[in-house]
Amino acid sequence: MLKHLHEIRDPIHIFIRLNTDERTVVDSVPLQRLRHIHQLATTFLVYPAATHRRFEHSLGVMELASRVFDVVTHPYNLHDEIRRLVPEITDQAQLGYWRHCLKMAALCHDIGHLPFSHAAEKELLPEGWDHERITREILDGQQMRSLFNKMTPPLRADDVIKLAVGPKKAKDLSFSDWETVLAEIIVGDAFGVDRMDYLLRDSHHAGVAYGRFDHHRLIDTLRVLPSSPVPDQEADNAAEPASEENVPAPPREPALGVDEGGLHSAEALMLARFFMYSQLYFHPVRRAYDIHLKDFLTAWLEGGRFATEVSNHLETTDNEVMATLSQASRDPERPGHDAARRINSRQHFRVLYQRHPDDVRINPEAGKAVFDAACERFGPERCRRDRYSQRSGAPDFPVQTKDGRIASSLAMSQTLNQLEAVSVDFVFVDPEILVEARNWLELNRSTIITPAEEPQDE
Amino acid sequence: MNRLQIAALLTRLVDRLRSHGSWCSETHIQKSTYVAQELGGVPLGFNFILYKHGPFSFDLRDEVTSLRADGLLLMEPQAFPYGPKFKATETAHQLQQRYPKTLNTHGAALEFVAQNLADKPVAELERLATALFAKANLPDEVNHKRAQWINAQKPHIATDEAVAALEEVESLEGVFQKSQAI
Repeated sequence: MLKHLHEIRDPIHIFIRLNTDERTVVDSVPLQRLRHIHQLATTFLVYPAATHRRFEHSLGVMELASRVFDVVTHPYNLHDEIRRLVPEITDQAQLGYWRHCLKMAALCHDIGHLPFSHAAEKELLPEGWDHERITREILDGQQMRSLFNKMTPPLRADDVIKLAVGPKKAKDLSFSDWETVLAEIIVGDAFGVDRMDYLLRDSHHAGVAYGRFDHHRLIDTLRVLPSSPVPDQEADNAAEPASEENVPAPPREPALGVDEGGLHSAEALMLARFFMYSQLYFHPVRRAYDIHLKDFLTAWLEGGRFATEVSNHLETTDNEVMATLSQASRDPERPGHDAARRINSRQHFRVLYQRHPDDVRINPEAGKAVFDAACERFGPERCRRDRYSQRSGAPDFPVQTKDGRIASSLAMSQTLNQLEAVSVDFVFVDPEILVEARNWLELNRSTIITPAEEPQDE
Repeated sequence: MNRLQIAALLTRLVDRLRSHGSWCSETHIQKSTYVAQELGGVPLGFNFILYKHGPFSFDLRDEVTSLRADGLLLMEPQAFPYGPKFKATETAHQLQQRYPKTLNTHGAALEFVAQNLADKPVAELERLATALFAKANLPDEVNHKRAQWINAQKPHIATDEAVAALEEVESLEGVFQKSQAI
């Protein structure tokens, strides 16, 4: 008898389960390509074991998405207001379709990634393009549409696209509340399984413990809840403090939140994110290597950009880039030789300056001031800057208390209130001038980092 | 407009909302910024979509986080069950002082928005901002058609409520244009 349910071994989730229909998508060219895209770009040059690929992450996201779906749609876990706001959540005839759709969207959410994932995506694609747009193009193509159409039940590619990309990156599409919640399961800020999987997986492979949290407990306590209440008037000016009784009920919209019992697991997730960003994803040497990789690709690629045609995209992986980079590192005549040499011989740029709270108080763009001055002093070819601030909002999600009330997570957790937003600003210089540059900055810091000036043309 | 000019304007808007009595949650900042940009013509450059509670910008949400990271905005935790309020910091006030031309050019629009929106309940903010969104995205339609569109997007906003919101938006536009002409 033919087997219709399959398991794939996984170091994070033990088993990834899928059926034969789903396996045809796993076996498709866009998914198999992800076996050759490093999840963490050049991080393996700093954390040697971080060589894992987008392929296993995509399987992990699919597995977690189905687990979350099963928890949040379980009749015992439904909030009364959500039954009214999102009737689809109780439509047993349709839930099977949406579960399948969510799994495929989770599986495919990263198929548009360029070689080396996020490293320099913005600079290496034409204006208006990002990996999510390429994901849409692939999912919208004949090959994937045909695979989805042959499934039981057939899936609408348009539904898969919405859930895979989400409203943030599909601003032209209209999302129902139900579709918004499903997309939130994959790419949501607070509890998106994309983030859950990459924190767990990246920490496992990099060999750092920061990314671990009790995801089993967290997933068991996830709920679709009405959004946290927002009072309407400034309580300080009111005769009485704002309360549920004396302020008009604000509109509620569904969002992923947790039962009170899962709040500590949610805190652990947010802390894991903070530590992984500050310790691993923003590690300065890794960021320097990403800059050299971007410089190499800019020199190597035709017009300095990746092609956005699906056929070209599917033919280009880290393997092609690494082979060319290796040749370029040995041959001074090849484009991108200097950047390639720096990567292969570990002659990466070194940190001259990194963001400091005292400097930011003087000028929030202190890094830019140092970078501009360093370029003027040492030449732009010997200096690079890397500025990145955390995207996404504060960890404000609804929490259902033991007595059934809904509250903001930030009204219930001191830990979440104390969590800083991560922001980095590095200025790197050629190692040959590092000592001189550091001395120069030490002598001139107070004249370089000064309050920002308003542009003259305003 | 560079990032620090935008920071000066956003933190000024937060100041004005607070001084006019707004709770100043992220929702209040989102809707007020949308109205400042669309009705007040403040060129902040945020891309808004129709999302939870009406027009919403993920770019603006990222920028608010960035302003927190830079010590320009502060989140003030509130008593159960509410989410935080936002407040501009002393560093933000120093930044505002260094951008007098930017604030002179757009300060009146920010003040207008704060004066007219700060005391609105969230539900009304949603209706008004959504009406403005409909007007901007359906420029050639009459209000009744726009109201039907609003109702289709946000079924909890009845068509007659949407018509009333569209009329209020037009009235606000008229008052704003008159104030600019003076």
